[in-house]
Amino acid sequence: MISDLARPFDEIVRNMDQELQTLASEGKRLIGYFCTYTPVELIHASGFIPVRILGDAGTVEKAYTLTPDFICPYLRKAVEKGLNGSYKCLDGLVQGYTCDAACGVANIWEANMGADPFHILPLPYVDQDESRSFLRSGLEDLAEILKRAGGDFSQERLADSLDIYGRIRTLMSELYEIRYEHRLPLSAEDFLTIVQAGFITAPERYLSMLHDLIDALPETCDPGEGVPILVSGSLIEETKVLRIIEESGGRVVADDLCTGMRNFVPAYGHGSDPMDQLIDRFMNRFPCPSRSSAEYRLPRLLDLMKHSKACAMVFVFQKYCTPHLSDYPFLNDALKDKGIPSIMVELDETGIMEGQLKTRLESFFEMIGW
Amino acid sequence: MEKSSKSKKRLNTAKELPLIIAEYYQECHEAKKEGRPVGWMPPMNGGIELFYAMGLQPVFPENWSPVCAAFGLTHKNFEVCEGMGYSRDLCGYLRNIIGYVHGMMGGPDNPLGGLPEPDIILPPQGGCSPVMKIFQALMRRFPQARTFYADMPQVAIENIRDHHMNYAVFEMKRLVNFLEEVTGRKLDYDRLKEVVRLSDKACELWDEIMSYRRFIPTPISASEIGIMFVMVTRQGTQTAVDYLTRVRDELKERAEQKVGILENEKVRLFWDNIPLWYNMGLFNYFEKMGGVVVAETYSAAWSLRLDADNPMETLARKTLTSYPLVSCVSIKKRKEMVLKACREYAIDGAILHRNKSCVPITLGQMDIKRELEEMDIPALIIDADHMDDRNFSTAQFQTRADAFMEMLLSRKGYSL
Repeated sequence: MISDLARPFDEIVRNMDQELQTLASEGKRLIGYFCTYTPVELIHASGFIPVRILGDAGTVEKAYTLTPDFICPYLRKAVEKGLNGSYKCLDGLVQGYTCDAACGVANIWEANMGADPFHILPLPYVDQDESRSFLRSGLEDLAEILKRAGGDFSQERLADSLDIYGRIRTLMSELYEIRYEHRLPLSAEDFLTIVQAGFITAPERYLSMLHDLIDALPETCDPGEGVPILVSGSLIEETKVLRIIEESGGRVVADDLCTGMRNFVPAYGHGSDPMDQLIDRFMNRFPCPSRSSAEYRLPRLLDLMKHSKACAMVFVFQKYCTPHLSDYPFLNDALKDKGIPSIMVELDETGIMEGQLKTRLESFFEMIGW
Repeated sequence: MEKSSKSKKRLNTAKELPLIIAEYYQECHEAKKEGRPVGWMPPMNGGIELFYAMGLQPVFPENWSPVCAAFGLTHKNFEVCEGMGYSRDLCGYLRNIIGYVHGMMGGPDNPLGGLPEPDIILPPQGGCSPVMKIFQALMRRFPQARTFYADMPQVAIENIRDHHMNYAVFEMKRLVNFLEEVTGRKLDYDRLKEVVRLSDKACELWDEIMSYRRFIPTPISASEIGIMFVMVTRQGTQTAVDYLTRVRDELKERAEQKVGILENEKVRLFWDNIPLWYNMGLFNYFEKMGGVVVAETYSAAWSLRLDADNPMETLARKTLTSYPLVSCVSIKKRKEMVLKACREYAIDGAILHRNKSCVPITLGQMDIKRELEEMDIPALIIDADHMDDRNFSTAQFQTRADAFMEMLLSRKGYSL
């Protein structure tokens, strides 16, 4: 159940189509994207509202005609939703190349639902001076493409956009810090809903909603019950899975999700000009497995567990997610070596088998005996 | 039809292939014995030419997977890999090679002597996600190997701009510095030019060989596609040029004499996506019905020309373009290539292998299918996997293939 604190965010998520239509009717031009490695600040600085394309609950029917059934349910559902007309307000699509499936689906989107402008931005994997120059050229390219589509990019505008998104990320990080201290009166389901609303609405409005939320938080909060856990995975759309985790005896105190912390850390980048700051933030992001190795991620995850006093890990993967599934054996072994219990849950497009999942999780949390 | 079967080879030069393969792996083992550094790398990149120019030995773990499939070893390897916690939903190349290096590698029953351990690992950045993850796992397995993280932009060919090229050239030069430092060998640029010239010659021959498939009847089919082995492992060597020359000469003679693969070629087919390495005999199934596969997507990866006078630039471009050429980086470009091939090779029908082990090539197939049908070229989708026969149903394939071939034959006026 969504709490009162999260209700305004839930309104936006539940009425996404209407939200996008309202933005469009106000004369805003919308650009869709799939991955958070897409430079939303640059899109915003060019005069567009970046909108993360989300999937939908339910099964895939029309998307069967365009995508195989062995790519992640998120992308298939996103195509389904696109085919159902939910994203007809989008003008274009911009995607940072992260995984093969997202890149391919972006192409399919362009061919079948139209996207103008359309651009896939290559991203560097290593951090060296030349990689940063290369990324800068790519971003300048994108700014030019958006300019041709009627955008109006300038360094000053980028500075303003970095400021807005930076403030959003700072507020989200504040919420995370309170969560790490186990005194956040929001369920994991509430939290994900709050994050999701930020993908859909204009950042100016979202920033103000976050301020209202933080102002409304009570001074003190019951730490609640349940095993404190870190949820690690790709992207979670269906808040239900988090509800089941918490109903089964877990309490999410930290996450490593791209619908979560990975999108907010760090809040800002450093550099001599706004473009450098954008690049620097990209280079220092909390890593997604599509951009890094399990060895690189492990110490960061362990730090996160320590910081949040989580004592178990729940991996939640989109089925068929190559980057996450490939990192999993190494991470799982490493956790085992350190005596940290973990369990893996896969999400398929029909959602989750609630009963079975609940039984597994209940046994897991009982076994931990926290 | 068995799940694992071999294709029928008609070319004399195709029958030479087992020897060429054996010699290559022997050379890999000799290099190890002689202390010549062995480097493991993904195929389709300029590292191969640099290695041959510097007298180093390139080894291609991805290429080892079809070898394992041909020797029927994949199940053992999958078992090891999946036992380690890797999901069955992951690419078969990934599960095979990770299973191999943690299982039978170094043991007594390795075909062709197995793979020699790497001294150097060149993990790719810029190909597909599974290859990136394969190499991360290999680095874990061989921690003593020196590694070099190359960074290559994943950019559609039609969008390549100066900054992509400049960065790719910078990365190639950085790779040269790394190789010189860890091997103590200096790259001789004249020697590199010679290697690139040989590589270009191989590409030219490859294109010429492929062009013979335009002949009706075709003197070469997908059953002989194993000759691609030299393009994967031997680019930049005289061995590749000599072998491909022999293949070309044999095809020329067969084309002049109008000797086709089939006595009565009835239907010309296009194959999209990687073949079923454990079941190349699938092509026999079509051939029995008078259908011959005369073109495919995968072979286009080597249809590049190289400029020997500008070796670093040309190798950078090769690395930058090989993967996007056959993947979903630009479906628009791949669609163009498929449609062009279908026109040029007088294709009657296309077989689209919906390949569970290859998302990048599979994505976009439905769009390609639609456009083929607009060109009045019917397309058949078969669900399979280029490595894992557990994801292939013989009966389902036969039912679909029979119906498809019947329809194509009937369209061409053959009585059934």
